[in-house]
Amino acid sequence: MLDGALLVRRQRVPLRLSAASYFGGLLFGLALAALILVQLGVPTAALWQEFVVQTFLTSQGLGQTVTAMIPLVLVGLGTALALRVQFWNIGIEGQLWLGAMAATWVSILDLGPEPLRLPLILALSMLAGALWIALPLALKLLWDVSEVISTLLLGSIAFFWVQHQLFGAWRDGKTGFPTSPTLDAAERLPLLGWGQVHAGLWLALAAVLLAAMVIGVTRLGFYARAVGANRRAARAAGLPVLMTVAVFVLGSGALCGLAGAVIVTGTEFRLSQSIGAGYLFSGIIIAYLARSNPLAVLVVSFLLGGLYTAGGVLKVFYGISEAMVLLVQGVVLLSVLCAQLFADYRVVARRPA
Amino acid sequence: MTDFFLAWLTVLPGYVLPLLLASLGVVLSERAGVLNLCPEGFMAVGAMTGALICLAGQGPWLGVLGGTAAGLGLSAVFGLAVVVFRVEQTLAGLATVALGLGITGVLGRSHVQKPFDGVPRLSETSWGAELPRVLGQQTLMLPLALLLLLLVAWFLTRSAAGLRLRAVGEDPGAADVAGVDVQIVQLGAVLTSGAFGGLAGAYLSVASAHVWVEGMVAGRGWVVIALVIFARWRPLRCLAAALLFGGTEALMPRLQALGVDFPVYLGAMLPYVLTLAVLALTSTRRGARSGAPAALGLSYLRQDKH
Repeated sequence: MLDGALLVRRQRVPLRLSAASYFGGLLFGLALAALILVQLGVPTAALWQEFVVQTFLTSQGLGQTVTAMIPLVLVGLGTALALRVQFWNIGIEGQLWLGAMAATWVSILDLGPEPLRLPLILALSMLAGALWIALPLALKLLWDVSEVISTLLLGSIAFFWVQHQLFGAWRDGKTGFPTSPTLDAAERLPLLGWGQVHAGLWLALAAVLLAAMVIGVTRLGFYARAVGANRRAARAAGLPVLMTVAVFVLGSGALCGLAGAVIVTGTEFRLSQSIGAGYLFSGIIIAYLARSNPLAVLVVSFLLGGLYTAGGVLKVFYGISEAMVLLVQGVVLLSVLCAQLFADYRVVARRPA
Repeated sequence: MTDFFLAWLTVLPGYVLPLLLASLGVVLSERAGVLNLCPEGFMAVGAMTGALICLAGQGPWLGVLGGTAAGLGLSAVFGLAVVVFRVEQTLAGLATVALGLGITGVLGRSHVQKPFDGVPRLSETSWGAELPRVLGQQTLMLPLALLLLLLVAWFLTRSAAGLRLRAVGEDPGAADVAGVDVQIVQLGAVLTSGAFGGLAGAYLSVASAHVWVEGMVAGRGWVVIALVIFARWRPLRCLAAALLFGGTEALMPRLQALGVDFPVYLGAMLPYVLTLAVLALTSTRRGARSGAPAALGLSYLRQDKH
């Protein structure tokens, strides 16, 4: 009954069609999101002002957008790397929490000499993120346990661990709030002198370049393409499937851990319960919209950073909850996903019998 | 010891039933071959809608019904995406959760932390005042949930429609040839799973907490998906799985009431660790996917076979 129209799978999807359905879906989703915002009480005239002018075209707004973009690039890239080898990393927030905790731990214990503190924080946060994803990876490789579930559960577990530390040993003695003590100056990423933009930007850009190089020109990237396309064929061809999957998945965890450290050392300067919220869905939507391409991850993260900036503004001026960001992401992602049908299939009207 | 056990038994349904209800929905959807990561979103809209209706003074039962309808509504979006538009089911599920959490955050913002009269406990009704405490503290949701459990178990294994649903999940091509409308069955299964998820959410706010806070589902929807896996997609085993998780969760506040000193958040973490451990251990022996419907997660299109 639902097959009123006949769908015929295209043997080859032409690029212009693929692009048309992608951008068509994107525009439809954005229009729908705009409609929802207007319904929520944002004046139509303000949409352009808040979402374009104030977030991309003023120096202050652009600075905010770029600051919001930095961790988004890292989590988006992390998700994309794992997706390249057909691994669903849905525990992004868990790895992010672990990275943030590693950073806080180094800061509280004052580990190492001061000049080396920041590099140590960044390295340990990546290690922590990688370790947190190593368990789902091992479970998947050994016993075929779905990584969707194990990474999700480890995300919840990590959050409880953060709360345990914040309400216990790491609670800031001065304020009594469940946040860690603020970081020393030596433990913070230096500001670049443009709003709150910090040196994490260089880390994010370096990660994008490195990922683009690994995927584009190295042997490992070639293996990953083969594994992503067909794991069994790759194994039959004698490629090191296990090693490739492990490198990409552990790299994914490390990037998400780094994102946690960058948030703590770059913008928040302390660990709190709210710093990791929302990155799960952002990572997924960035990786999907960017089709797991590192350079595209940068572009999508930049645009999504704008949405985060606008979300903050709408909260202050129109009393709209920050969950708006999540709602818009869901609407846009679903719209782009559905539009894909028109690229993958030819829709033929069924003649009446 | 008996007192402790009875106290634990009294609070148990509050922890177990939402998980059970939502997992029944996931079983129905996944036995029809649709991978369903949505319960977190279904439960969120169910909890909020139920609370909003109660706060509007419409009474708890209308709240429960409204929450169920809200879950159904959100699942219609998911169903449209996966069944009609053939969207990859993992991504569609995650997008649906984002949608559900986003909607509740935006619409429920001004209704946070406002207590209301929820579903009455049996001891508060005119006929249940004499019941022993273990029963008196329960609501009519307990028999309702158990009835739904039996109904789903009967439907899947004993009814012709259930047979058709399972056939779609195992081999949609064969079911199609046998004259089953695959799309209609899958859509129906998804909608039912949404209703169950919404009901589970409404349970959290209307029958259990009598208040709504943003994020009150708190990852239970994700746990539900894991429970279904180690229940091997069988409704009755979902009860056992829900008892394991919910029972551990319910133990924590009871132990605290006894004065046992343990870190609160590590205690709250324990059920999740246990779920992961059980999932891993059962997988070592029988393989994680055993019992999974053969066509789980695949989009079906008749023309694709040629």
